[in-house]
Amino acid sequence: MAAISTGVHHRSYRSELRLRHANAEHVRLAIAIALLVVLPFLASPFWLTVANQVGIAVVGAIGLNILTGYTGQISLGQGGFLAVGAYTSGLLVARMGVPTGVAVVVAVLTTAAVGAFFGLPALRLKGLYLAIATLASQFIILWVVRNWTVVTGGVDSLVVPRPALGDAVLRTDFAWYWVIGIVAAVCVVVSRNLFRTGIGRAFMAIRDHDIAAEAMGVDVVRYKVLAFALSSGFVGLAGALTAHYRTIVTFERFTLEVSILYLAMIIVGGLGSTLGSILGATFMIVLPALITQAGQSLQGSFLARQLPAIQLGVFGLVIVLFLIFEPRGLARMWQRTKDYFRLWPFRY
Amino acid sequence: METLIQLTVTGLANGAILALAALGFALVYKATGVINFAQGDFLAVGAWAVFAAIATFGLHWSLALLFGVAVAVILAILVERFVLRPMIGESVIAVIMVTIGLSAVIRSILQMLFGTSPRRLPPVLPGGTVELAGAVVPVNRLVAIAAATVVLGAFTVFFKRSRHGIAMRAVADDQQAALTMGISVRRIFAMAWALAGISAVIGGLLIADIVGVSGEVATFGLIVFPVVILGGLDSIPGTIVGGAVIGLLVQYSAGYVGGGLQQVVPYIVLVLILLVRPYGLFGEIRIERV
Amino acid sequence: MTRTRQLLAALLSLALLATACTTDDDGATDPTGGATGDGTAATGDPIVIAAIFDLSGATADVGVPFADGAKAYVEWLNANGGVNGRPIELLSQDYQYDVANAEQLYSQYQSQGAVAFSGWGTADTEALRTSITEDMVPFSSASYAETLADPAETPYNFVPAATYSQQMRIALRHIADASGGENAQVALFHHDSPFGLSPLEDGRQYITDNDLDITLEAHAMPGGATDYFGELSQAQDAEYIIVQNVPSLTAQLARDIQSQGLDATLLCLNWCADEVLVELAGDAANGALGILPFAPPSQATGDLSAVESYLADKGQTLDDINLHFTQGWYQFSVIVEGIRHALDQGLELTGSNIKTALEDMPPLETPVTTAIDFTAESHAGMQSVRVYEVQDGSWVGITDAITP
Repeated sequence: MAAISTGVHHRSYRSELRLRHANAEHVRLAIAIALLVVLPFLASPFWLTVANQVGIAVVGAIGLNILTGYTGQISLGQGGFLAVGAYTSGLLVARMGVPTGVAVVVAVLTTAAVGAFFGLPALRLKGLYLAIATLASQFIILWVVRNWTVVTGGVDSLVVPRPALGDAVLRTDFAWYWVIGIVAAVCVVVSRNLFRTGIGRAFMAIRDHDIAAEAMGVDVVRYKVLAFALSSGFVGLAGALTAHYRTIVTFERFTLEVSILYLAMIIVGGLGSTLGSILGATFMIVLPALITQAGQSLQGSFLARQLPAIQLGVFGLVIVLFLIFEPRGLARMWQRTKDYFRLWPFRY
Repeated sequence: METLIQLTVTGLANGAILALAALGFALVYKATGVINFAQGDFLAVGAWAVFAAIATFGLHWSLALLFGVAVAVILAILVERFVLRPMIGESVIAVIMVTIGLSAVIRSILQMLFGTSPRRLPPVLPGGTVELAGAVVPVNRLVAIAAATVVLGAFTVFFKRSRHGIAMRAVADDQQAALTMGISVRRIFAMAWALAGISAVIGGLLIADIVGVSGEVATFGLIVFPVVILGGLDSIPGTIVGGAVIGLLVQYSAGYVGGGLQQVVPYIVLVLILLVRPYGLFGEIRIERV
Repeated sequence: MTRTRQLLAALLSLALLATACTTDDDGATDPTGGATGDGTAATGDPIVIAAIFDLSGATADVGVPFADGAKAYVEWLNANGGVNGRPIELLSQDYQYDVANAEQLYSQYQSQGAVAFSGWGTADTEALRTSITEDMVPFSSASYAETLADPAETPYNFVPAATYSQQMRIALRHIADASGGENAQVALFHHDSPFGLSPLEDGRQYITDNDLDITLEAHAMPGGATDYFGELSQAQDAEYIIVQNVPSLTAQLARDIQSQGLDATLLCLNWCADEVLVELAGDAANGALGILPFAPPSQATGDLSAVESYLADKGQTLDDINLHFTQGWYQFSVIVEGIRHALDQGLELTGSNIKTALEDMPPLETPVTTAIDFTAESHAGMQSVRVYEVQDGSWVGITDAITP
């Protein structure tokens, strides 16, 4: 957080309101942006696809972080909301010929509404019970998707035409990288700004102690539902992006494993931190890709033969080890690194 | 009428196995406050351990059961000591995620050891069918119901009468007070996990015999959640009732309604119970409303 | 705390070592693509073919022997002259029936220069459809859905076996003939997925088009079920139960039918009509019928010496393999023959050339199937299949090849 930087001196309200204050922060941001801009030119096609997947996952992870990290509401139902976003956007474009941009916006709003609806149990449930209720919502949404054949086509896959602007069709991974990158960047900025507003502070108050928040005048009912709606909006956006990027939507993309993957992302990254969502999303998607690559180069070895089991095992192991040894995740590790250099040669 | 009887018997058999799995879940929650998302995988470990003992080592089923119990107890104690003990005091979501991660690790190890092809056991429970009021009913289901009832009954008596059982209830009630009474809370935690492992092995053996062992066992174990929520997270009799209700509902909706409804019925029941009476039919009521 | 960490680390490494030392009994043969020295070994520019197999996912019980057969074919081919002297380099991976893995592997193998792709499941073949059309990659998979055999929809996909819909039509034709003009009650029990539902609509269409006196109802077999009593009680009057599912679940169904004493006859479409079903279901499988586009080795209509010689080198015989092995072997040979045809005509190995070569190729005879022939109008290679029955624990052909 910005408060850690020392020697920062504000002389106007305007400078205090900036997102980044110290020179060091500006430099780090510039380096990060430079790397991201250069990446698509240097990466192999495989890693470019991975980068695109990371971008979409960042959007989803940010959404989940708003709900779980900042508002303290555990949700195991992301897969279902991703499905709502993907199918809404995909169906509008495929069946009704709506332009892609409009379809995505409608998908975001629809998912937000569905999220608010499934967030209603949160008003009466907390902790584990809420987690289980959202787990149920995951199964129920998927079941509806699979059996409401009239609308969703049931278990058949839905083909979504690629988005086009006049003659230019958005086809290559390279082009998608920029689109996804810009969307993700906007989401990151929105999320960081959200927590400097009154709404964001209300969310954090609810996480810390909802009865005390109510006593202080925060309308818990309204803000809990709003948290679900906002979070689901982001997740719906991620789902819509998936639908258009992949052009084929099937329900198998949105199972419980995906919900758990997103939860793992924000926990490994660090709850309650936007940077944590980014780091967590990158880590949880790049790691299996690395293992796959390792398996390729070690063809015929034990690793290659047992690759899926190893990927599953590493996934679980990473979660367990992070939670035991660094429960505050990658963001905290990054914070500690920065502090080490800032305070050197002192220890604290 | 015959359909009803058939569906009732199979529903009760499934419910009995679910109750055994849910029992482990409720035990761990009651004693340690931990939600064990890996319970379905404990069930799978139990099933595979028994399978390995019978098929690979050629043991008689009673010895295989002992072997399975040993494996489950060791696993449970290891998990409690190395994975859950460092998590004391952490938030609910952290504990949930740790057990989810654990579940993934267990599944991956089982996959590496046994592959994913389903296997059949040489039959342990008596095979064949029997006539029950005009309906043809498989005998192994009836035996499963009987076995599960005996085990569940034994557990209930254990909690009511034996010293260790009462100690467990004391720890579940108030850890501080139990400590002042001289009860070793650490031992009780370990015991709770060990008992959860044992009930998982017995449930696993029953499933392995009725259906066969495969990766599907853990999926079956996911339905544990509606069972424990329905019965009440910290209630042992609740798991029995919950298991029976869910098992029967699934079979009836498969038989009379069809169309895939049976897959989602447990979760609809779950949501309804959570909205109407979140602490389940027999759970302890803690009122907190905002 | 440090001691606990050390203990934990020690246990973890022990566990990993233990799993490393365990022999995995999936029976995956060594996936070499290089030439094995034997005098007639292939040298020259390798031809890169990519494949994804399901070795540990939902359909692994048929995926593993299929993969073994395909890899065995490549190994045998490379040791016996390759394709016009050039060896096949096979890039393959277990994708666990997961669509995301399939997509990732596809883009990876594309960047490694694969000229043809062998897929597996219906879901991932569907998901990759637009990509393979845009990238012009000849594709053949183990998904025999009829929608994938239409060149207008998927110009680069080829279906070597009889499609599920065609199998369904053959099954219905056989049932109609066996019923001799009387009404037949038929139920379709299917896997709860696109794979399972694939033959249903075309089956209904066939009944109306040919005015057959058949009542057809469909029931899904959900995953994680311990029994199918519920579904069977809904289909109590069915005389024939057509099954479109994997062998393990079908075996459970067979046992449930037996324990309930129903006198319905099982009719398995290709993926559950195999030796695994017989092994898992025991005597509950006797009397079951099946549509087997790839015949079991014991019922082969041609010369299996290539497979036999390969197996002999490994110290095995035809009794050690099941029909999915020869299925993988000969299905793979179809793509390779297309490549050979392209090379024989002196064409460069591009996607569109291989596609045209596959369409122009003369009908391909294999020892375990009827002739396989693709045209520019239809990529469904096989039109007729025999009906088989389980007699005394093995599949025996009871009819000639039926064209519906």
